[in-house]
Amino acid sequence: MVNSIPLFVVIPLGCAFILPVIGRRWERAGDLFANLVTVTLLGLAIWSVRFIRETTVYHVGGWGAVNGIPIGIYLVRDGLSIFMLVVVNLIAFVATLYSINYMEYFTDKTKYYTLFMLMLAGMNGVILTGDFFNLYVFIEIAAIASYALVAFGTEAEELEAAFKYQVMGSVGSGFILLGIILLYSYTGTLNMADVGRVILDKGASNLVWFVNVLFIVGFGLKAAVVPFHMWLPDAHPSAPAPISAMLSGVLIESIGVYPLTRIMYNVIGFDGVLSNILIVLAIISMMIGGLLALWQWDYKRLLAYSSISQVGYILLGIGLGTPLGLLGALFHLFNHSAFKGLLFLDSGSIVYSVGTRDLREMGELDRRMPITSKTNLVAAMSIAGVPPFNGFWSKLIIIIACIQAGRYGVAGWAILGSILTFAYILKAERYAFYGKAGRDVADVKESPPFMCIALIILAVICVVAGLMLLPNVRETILFPVVNTLTSGTEYIWRVLR
Amino acid sequence: MSEILYLLVIPFVTGVIAIFLPKKIRPAIETVGILGSVGSLAYVTYVYVNLVSYTSSWWRIDGLSRFILLFCGVFGFLIALYSLKFMRRFDRLNEYYGYLLFTIGASFGAVLANNMILLVGFWGFLAFTLFMLITIGGPDRTGVSEAAKKTLIIVGGSDCLMILGIAILWLLTNSLRMDSMNVSVATSRLAAVAFVLLAVTSFAKAGAIPMHTWIPDCAEFAPIPVTAFLPASVDKLLGIYLLTRLVTDIFALNTAMKIFLLAVGAFTVLAAVMMALIQHDAKRLLAYHAVSQVGYMVLGIGTCNPIGIAGGLFHMLNNAIYKGCLFLTAGGVEHRTGTTHLDRLGGLAHYMPITFVSFIVAALAISGVPPLNGFTSKWLVYQGLIMLGNEGGKLWIIWLVAAMFGSALTLASFMKLGHAIFLGQTPDYEKAIGHKVREVHWSMWLPMVVLAGLCLAFGIFAFRLPLAKLIYPAVGKVFVPGFWQPTLATILILVGIVVGFIIYLMGRVKIREDSLPFIGGEVLPEEVRVTGTDFYNTIREMSILRTIYSKAEQKLFDIYELGKRAFLFLARGVSYAHVGVLTSYVAWIFLGLMAILFVVVRLR
Repeated sequence: MVNSIPLFVVIPLGCAFILPVIGRRWERAGDLFANLVTVTLLGLAIWSVRFIRETTVYHVGGWGAVNGIPIGIYLVRDGLSIFMLVVVNLIAFVATLYSINYMEYFTDKTKYYTLFMLMLAGMNGVILTGDFFNLYVFIEIAAIASYALVAFGTEAEELEAAFKYQVMGSVGSGFILLGIILLYSYTGTLNMADVGRVILDKGASNLVWFVNVLFIVGFGLKAAVVPFHMWLPDAHPSAPAPISAMLSGVLIESIGVYPLTRIMYNVIGFDGVLSNILIVLAIISMMIGGLLALWQWDYKRLLAYSSISQVGYILLGIGLGTPLGLLGALFHLFNHSAFKGLLFLDSGSIVYSVGTRDLREMGELDRRMPITSKTNLVAAMSIAGVPPFNGFWSKLIIIIACIQAGRYGVAGWAILGSILTFAYILKAERYAFYGKAGRDVADVKESPPFMCIALIILAVICVVAGLMLLPNVRETILFPVVNTLTSGTEYIWRVLR
Repeated sequence: MSEILYLLVIPFVTGVIAIFLPKKIRPAIETVGILGSVGSLAYVTYVYVNLVSYTSSWWRIDGLSRFILLFCGVFGFLIALYSLKFMRRFDRLNEYYGYLLFTIGASFGAVLANNMILLVGFWGFLAFTLFMLITIGGPDRTGVSEAAKKTLIIVGGSDCLMILGIAILWLLTNSLRMDSMNVSVATSRLAAVAFVLLAVTSFAKAGAIPMHTWIPDCAEFAPIPVTAFLPASVDKLLGIYLLTRLVTDIFALNTAMKIFLLAVGAFTVLAAVMMALIQHDAKRLLAYHAVSQVGYMVLGIGTCNPIGIAGGLFHMLNNAIYKGCLFLTAGGVEHRTGTTHLDRLGGLAHYMPITFVSFIVAALAISGVPPLNGFTSKWLVYQGLIMLGNEGGKLWIIWLVAAMFGSALTLASFMKLGHAIFLGQTPDYEKAIGHKVREVHWSMWLPMVVLAGLCLAFGIFAFRLPLAKLIYPAVGKVFVPGFWQPTLATILILVGIVVGFIIYLMGRVKIREDSLPFIGGEVLPEEVRVTGTDFYNTIREMSILRTIYSKAEQKLFDIYELGKRAFLFLARGVSYAHVGVLTSYVAWIFLGLMAILFVVVRLR
């Protein structure tokens, strides 16, 4: 089913155009359409898992290759893309479900859903594109929609955060665009597979290395790798909770980590120097993100810093480059989406019911908000890496992968980062739920039903995701995804075939 | 193996049922909790009797895991029984019984695991259940939540070390099966690192210095059955189980590693008992003893000779029994008087005789008074240490002196505890709590009596019962030098008591005489009450100790506090770079770009 590939972009993009038209008359249209779209896309993504071992190319407009040279736009669906599609659309689905109740709080839901759909179209586009220019375009679509969504509350703090985010985001996009331009001048093509082929022929010159650095900085900025992370702790907490969940849960991964990984492994080719750079950046991110999270009293800000730290773990696995490391990284990416999405949604529930983000003002919520407190507990244990929750397994794999690769020092840093994770997430857990209340919480109520359903879905995923490592399941789901990366530049021939 | 599967299924399934019951239906929750623990105990007994040895790539039952398994089940049942009355006034009863059953199941799993990933899975899950059980705690929410957090950070953090250790073992042996490993620490530095990491993990669980600091906080704030169950009993069993596995099965130690273990053990014995002497809260005092006793076990196992290991294991078992019993008696006192603060207690022997007798038996056992069980196991540990000397070591005398000195101090601090709670002057309870103090319900005293009875039985019939049936199958028969026949000694002691009693009767002394406490000849005013704790304050006033104690009370020796301060110090430093000024942030981006470019140019 080749024709299903463009639907991932077309459906949300179409919805984004239709919504403003219908939404004027019909307030609830956004709730209905957005949820329909995300459910459809999630279904489609899960259905696509059956093709996880294949590489399928969709030629937009039917423009195939001429004499083996691609002239049209390619959308490429392989194991890694399908994996990312499932992750992104899963969180998108939960976020839209959550928005039904949560966004009552804000005005103009229609605009919100329009922007949401644009962002989703951008992310799905980034994941599927086989073409550098479209990669840039989709990244910008997702990023610009997210700038607007961060500012959605239009309070002074949110506007400031969005402004900073936009300026720094543009710097990052600028680096990416510059890198693409330079690659184009070197290879004379924009198709990713074709670029890879030309680099294989002509060899990786200094220019390619310069492009590598530009990509590390540009995508690193989108992925909030230290020292390019300064926008994130402002932007992610300021957005409405479902958007925070999207931004921290999937956006930084799909427009930051994913393209970087794809280009490094499948197009340009991965080597020891890149590996060392990524590992060092990962360790710095892990430690600094964790330390800063420990320092925070604003719950959402704490979570934002913890995202920086967790992206460090993902990058660490990717930087190791061994199959086990990649397995750990991809699995952690999935897990991080689930538990960080859940944590942000829980923080949203607290904001919704208690009206504060300051941990010192919360407390005793374990009695007042049982569902929020239980789901938050599950997410906190996942991120801390307590068995049997999902985060434990990815942490385990990443640490074992470090040892297997002979990088004992790196493993030590990962352990330290993990203890740091325990410290900051338990701080949040202690103050928000089990500690003494900082303000009167006697009449705090559990959040409305759709929000609770969304929380429960993600909590269940956090509990059972570890089962993906069972022998049969990992061979059918996770290994093909890892293979698309470990097979390296074979990607080129699979696309150009 | 279906038996093992059932063994895990019973507690986990009943635990899930308990957790999902609405917390309003208390009788149903309690029924499920009791049924689950009884079922687990019954099945584990069945397994103990029928399954002597079994090994697969996932599970393993041998002499060592067998008896630890059995006692996990026994403690689980006794604690569930005790909780029926004690936990009535707590909220979240469904979670309490749910996590209690999960703990039973996970401790079975951890002991049964032959695959190291399985082991670390159950091990980490136990940290989680402990965290949840502590959060059920009492009215002091700040203290409870802080204690829970600290516990999970230390125990869960040590879990990360365990992962690292296991990863190194996997690298060295290319296997995850515990039964097929035999790594010599002497051959590679990596192996030594792996051993230290795994040993530290077991210290964190059992509570040896420096990973012990969660235990006093946990004991102070968690519900007492939780303390009696986990830090006092099952965590000791598990931590020492792991250490024994490491020393006997997985690693072959060299002298340096042995000295590491012995030093940790000796230091733990002394430092913790010194801390125990100055405590004013029964729960904290007992918690420091729970730490101190771990020292003996580590000493015993650190000797690496059969008699020492047998002594360490036997002491582990004994400690779980009498420490569980002591915490349960403290729980009874708290249940009836509402406090465990020593200054507010006294004279309870009159009101709570069963609790008092259980307490005395357990206290004498922990102090190592013959013929109780604690004496025999300490005796074995001492023999193991002396054996070290026969093997040619020189340091053994230090360890031996530390162990014996620690034992004397233990007795001293239990004098204080027993006097302050059960003897001494009686405060006006009716004024303080509004009702008369009386003996606790049978469901609470029965577990204490059972445990106190075990203290006696394991002491008097030490060689015939516990050693022959439980310990020797685990470590092999050992030859015990020296002369100690507990049964004979008991008979002699009894004869002595009877003779003394006869003399007493013949002397026609007035049966009972009420008198005021003697305080150096001063006349005691009516309103002043002499408590059992003041005498011990003199220890605190000694010149060198004073500084150490004040530093300890500022938590300068607490690894958790030290780590927290270091992390926060670093975090403060890093947060200075986050000023919120856009231009400087953009400057950081360009600096980062320059740095990476520089690295690439240099590396290529």
